[in-house]
Amino acid sequence: MIVLWFLIKEGFRGLWRSNYAGAFSIIIIALSLILIGFGYVAARDTLVMVENIRSQFDITVFVQRDAGIDELENFARELGAIKEIDKIIYVSADSAAAQFRTEFGADIFSILDYNPLPPSFTVNLKPVARNLAGVEEVVARIKRQAVVDEIRYRKNFLQLLEKYQRLIFITVVLAFVILTLISIILASNSIKMTIFSRRNVISTMKLVGATNNFIRVPFLIEGALEGLAGALLAAIVIALSFYFLNNYLQGLTGFRAIVSYRFYGGLIVLGSLIGLIGSLRAIRRFLE
Amino acid sequence: MITFFNVSCTFGKEAGVKNINLSINEGEFVFVTGASGAGKSTLLRLIYMDLFPEKGKVVIRNFDSSKVRPGEIPYLRRKVGMIFQDFQLLDDRNVYENVALSLYVSHYKTREIRQRVYNVLNQVGLGHRVYYHPGELSGGEQQRVAIARALVKEPVVLLADEPTGNLDPRVSSDLMSQLTRINQNGTAVIVATHNYSLIPRVANARLIQVNEGEIVNQS
Repeated sequence: MIVLWFLIKEGFRGLWRSNYAGAFSIIIIALSLILIGFGYVAARDTLVMVENIRSQFDITVFVQRDAGIDELENFARELGAIKEIDKIIYVSADSAAAQFRTEFGADIFSILDYNPLPPSFTVNLKPVARNLAGVEEVVARIKRQAVVDEIRYRKNFLQLLEKYQRLIFITVVLAFVILTLISIILASNSIKMTIFSRRNVISTMKLVGATNNFIRVPFLIEGALEGLAGALLAAIVIALSFYFLNNYLQGLTGFRAIVSYRFYGGLIVLGSLIGLIGSLRAIRRFLE
Repeated sequence: MITFFNVSCTFGKEAGVKNINLSINEGEFVFVTGASGAGKSTLLRLIYMDLFPEKGKVVIRNFDSSKVRPGEIPYLRRKVGMIFQDFQLLDDRNVYENVALSLYVSHYKTREIRQRVYNVLNQVGLGHRVYYHPGELSGGEQQRVAIARALVKEPVVLLADEPTGNLDPRVSSDLMSQLTRINQNGTAVIVATHNYSLIPRVANARLIQVNEGEIVNQS
């Protein structure tokens, strides 16, 4: 217990003694975390935006013009039984004509003397089925119904969306991993400089009989503290940036960044881990 | 207590030592003399296992250089006190902290650390400099801090590598008195020096002369 307390105290004192080198490490970690933080929020909001677009996706099922009320009711019941379907809206031939009038400003009866628009069902899917495979499965089931005349949905749009969403996701994950690795390498190099400036402490500790763990622990605590300080600095910069963006620039950008306390908590944990792993890598060389 | 069995150890372009056979008993006072580069420091570094023999082995109590694992070396060093020409004190810690470090690494209790550190600092005449930093002390006082740090863990052997190299004659004489007193309390002392004037100051000291890595004379 006494030794543990001594080592923790040494870790805190080490941070204080590290002076400019320590401050440099903190700044490096803070800059990396600011990049990671902004990157995360931008990627998250892009994915949310893509998901919103996806939620507007629907399938239009045109039914036989001569289908009777009973057939339509049966068909509606069949649709309701498909668990991937979230919402069904029936658009009668008259409603379609009214919609045509609203959209194109012309009366279909005055152009053709009759209403060629068939009745239809607009089908919205649950989020879990809003993908190409899910849509195609639902479409295949609907097609089996005799009352169905034609099914239309934007397959190309869905394919494009999926392709870009996957691309965004992979880019985000890769960027996160690469930025975190770069942060660890940068942090460990700057922590290495800190440790190099205090190599006499390590050699003296070795001479008086300190084990490698005894030497290592204060440097790990110091590294974690530098990571924590860097993360706090990054959290302040990000919070102030979002405050400024939301309160003064929202009119210009139309963008509102909202982050939870969990985001800042994650940033602090990530910063401490970067500092810890960085110092673990750095101290290894001096203990060989 | 310390035995060299046909030890050879060379490193880089320096000579190191060749075919050394040597035995040092508990409580002995030994001077290792020779010109610069003769192999004096190599002998001491082999004892605290900062270097390992290329041939032969060094045995210090139950630590055998041919069998010891890296993780066991700290435990050997807790039994061996070391003082150097450049003192090797930590400038950002005060006298108390420099001396106490030896005991913290050995997991002593705070009360015992405090008691031992104050005792040893009084013993070397630095009871009034406890909270000074090395930079605020004279060369002689810094060397006494180094002695206190070595002594506080009650080592079985004290190694001193050119301990008077940075000290004036009066302070050197004082240092030798300290080392003699330590030896009289039962600790073996091994001093590597090229300053032959120190030798007559210790009665019954053993003299080992090395030249180009070999022992050329023992008395």
